[in-house]
Amino acid sequence: MSSTSTHAEVTAADTAGRWPVLLLLASGLGWLVISGIFALIASIQLHSPTFMSACEWFTHGRVGALAETSFVYGWAANAGLGIALWVLGRLGGATLRAQNWAMTGTLFWNLGITLGLGGIATGEATSFAFLELPRYVQPLLVVAYIAIGISGILAWSGRRTEGTYASHWYAVAALFLFPWLLIAAQTMLLWSPVRGVLQPIIDGWYVQSVFSLWLAPLALAGAYYVVPKITGQALPSYEFAPLAFWTLLFVGTMTGGRHLIGGPVPAWIPTLANAACWMVLFHFIVVALNLRGALTGGGTSLTFISFGLLAYFAGAVLDAVTSFRGVALVTQFTYFTTAQQQLALYGGISMLLLGSIYFAVPRLTGRPWNSGSFVRGHRVLAMVGIFLLVGSLAVAGWIQGTELSNAKTTFGEIAGRTRPWLLAVTVAQGFLLVGNILILVNFLRSVSDVWCAGAVSQVGAFRQPTTMEVHAS
Amino acid sequence: MMKNGFFFFIGLLAAFLLGWGGIPLLAHKQIGALAPFYDDGESSSFPTRPPGVAARGQLVYADLGCVACHTQQVRRPDFGSDKARGWGDRQSVARDYIFQGRPQLGDARIGPDLANWGVRKPPLDAGGIAQFLYSGVVSGAKAVTHPPFPFLFDDRPIVGEAAPDALVGLVDKTPRRQIVPTERARTLIAYLQSLNNAYEYPEARHVVPVVAKEGAHK
Repeated sequence: MSSTSTHAEVTAADTAGRWPVLLLLASGLGWLVISGIFALIASIQLHSPTFMSACEWFTHGRVGALAETSFVYGWAANAGLGIALWVLGRLGGATLRAQNWAMTGTLFWNLGITLGLGGIATGEATSFAFLELPRYVQPLLVVAYIAIGISGILAWSGRRTEGTYASHWYAVAALFLFPWLLIAAQTMLLWSPVRGVLQPIIDGWYVQSVFSLWLAPLALAGAYYVVPKITGQALPSYEFAPLAFWTLLFVGTMTGGRHLIGGPVPAWIPTLANAACWMVLFHFIVVALNLRGALTGGGTSLTFISFGLLAYFAGAVLDAVTSFRGVALVTQFTYFTTAQQQLALYGGISMLLLGSIYFAVPRLTGRPWNSGSFVRGHRVLAMVGIFLLVGSLAVAGWIQGTELSNAKTTFGEIAGRTRPWLLAVTVAQGFLLVGNILILVNFLRSVSDVWCAGAVSQVGAFRQPTTMEVHAS
Repeated sequence: MMKNGFFFFIGLLAAFLLGWGGIPLLAHKQIGALAPFYDDGESSSFPTRPPGVAARGQLVYADLGCVACHTQQVRRPDFGSDKARGWGDRQSVARDYIFQGRPQLGDARIGPDLANWGVRKPPLDAGGIAQFLYSGVVSGAKAVTHPPFPFLFDDRPIVGEAAPDALVGLVDKTPRRQIVPTERARTLIAYLQSLNNAYEYPEARHVVPVVAKEGAHK
């Protein structure tokens, strides 16, 4: 490990601005565990359809919606915002401003999610992917989000250096663009619904935009900050980074129509998506080139980020390949698309965010992670879990897709043939859940040490690289 | 551009507007005003509006999350096995959905497509659908393949005569009690029975490509 990473880095900007960030991260990790419980139930129902089906709150459709919503709006949103605020605060070179706004916004955001999940469980879900939250909490989410975002935008506009950095662009883009997306989607789908198949078209655009304009930028803001900090080297091929950024923003949203291949929609929508899927690969290639230093570095943060980087890239390639009609003929409507989504959201976004969290928390608390063995346990469980999850879903999906194209195979037979792989999915969800409980407990113990002991920083410990970064090997 | 805050935000806004204008708004301009098709021969227009009870049933379908496992979109006959599986003779088109409050196209086929389930073969009457929803067992099958939804039914004592739509077979096993579909179950069943996109619009006709004759110039 290079000497730069051992340099003590706990600044006043970290300690003075830590509570909004820690609150966001705590909420995110809490929702990650809750979402894991829902995902586990949903995965059991895939091979055992009677599981909890007698309880109306937990039909497969509702549990799936609960898992997805708590994952996207609970985990990814909170954690991503936490990392974005932290990165912007640090790059700004000053203590985070408007902290009360961020704290209040976070509380209301999570209140909205909680109410919304209750609504989904009791049958108020909208049945739009990524927009399942009932109509009545949607305006609250917009306001709460803006309140959180203000803090980040102020840190950006009041920065003490004139130049900007890739983390800046991604973080500010995510903070600024999401309210527009959410307002546009809820207006056209919930408040003044458009007619017929325009609804799934718009929902497809929204789902993709949430990924391309919000979650991916949030995750990349952290990764672009953490990787050079640890490797101590300038990013290679950095001159392409601005173009990669704009490619994601301008082309990424066009790829959403790939899920509508062969559907009752104008044919240009999936065709445009096919072309856009290949164009946007430029973004993914540049990101991989920029951050490739992570692959050779050691330590927990870089392990998570390397995994996330590879998954982020692999997900984009798979999206491009399956956007061809010939491939979609098999993979469409199957677990294979679920595998792709999990690869992008869990393997890509979440692992990148977790890598940033492992880097940020010791600097925010001023002391190392409470338990090194919990860190190592989470690291193994997360990687094995995602491999198993995505791999099993992909195999199950491929079997399902080839059997579906044979009209003589019944759905009972397909269920029988995919069952072993779906059981593996349940095992994978179990691994992930246990791993996520480990990081949540570790996080809470680390933070409670600070909460109870006050602001006494153990900066001295940071001179030792082994305590700053917990190593598994 | 990256340094100047104003132009950076203009760029961000442009990215949003291009995506939003490029897909939702353009699609809306193209098919947002799609009208029913008037058939001179039959002196009526298609699609027909679903009866109110079926429209309410679609809300039950949506709130239970049926869309997680069932699509409602038939692909064209030479693209997948949709026709061979009896899900529909023609592909679904945008016009099929113009009167649906919240179309449930779906993106997973863990169960069959339901776009034409109301006219499925073999047909299933309201009582059959109720039995199926209650038990999760498709008539004829031995194993449970569908999650049973007992919460859509009332288990209540028989006062006087059994309700006309009480589930047959279950009444005898539990004397003096009956299993009766709730209001929600009845609307859901009416909705499932209403699913029928059989009418062939001009744009839905399947175009069979002309295959070049053997030996012809390629």
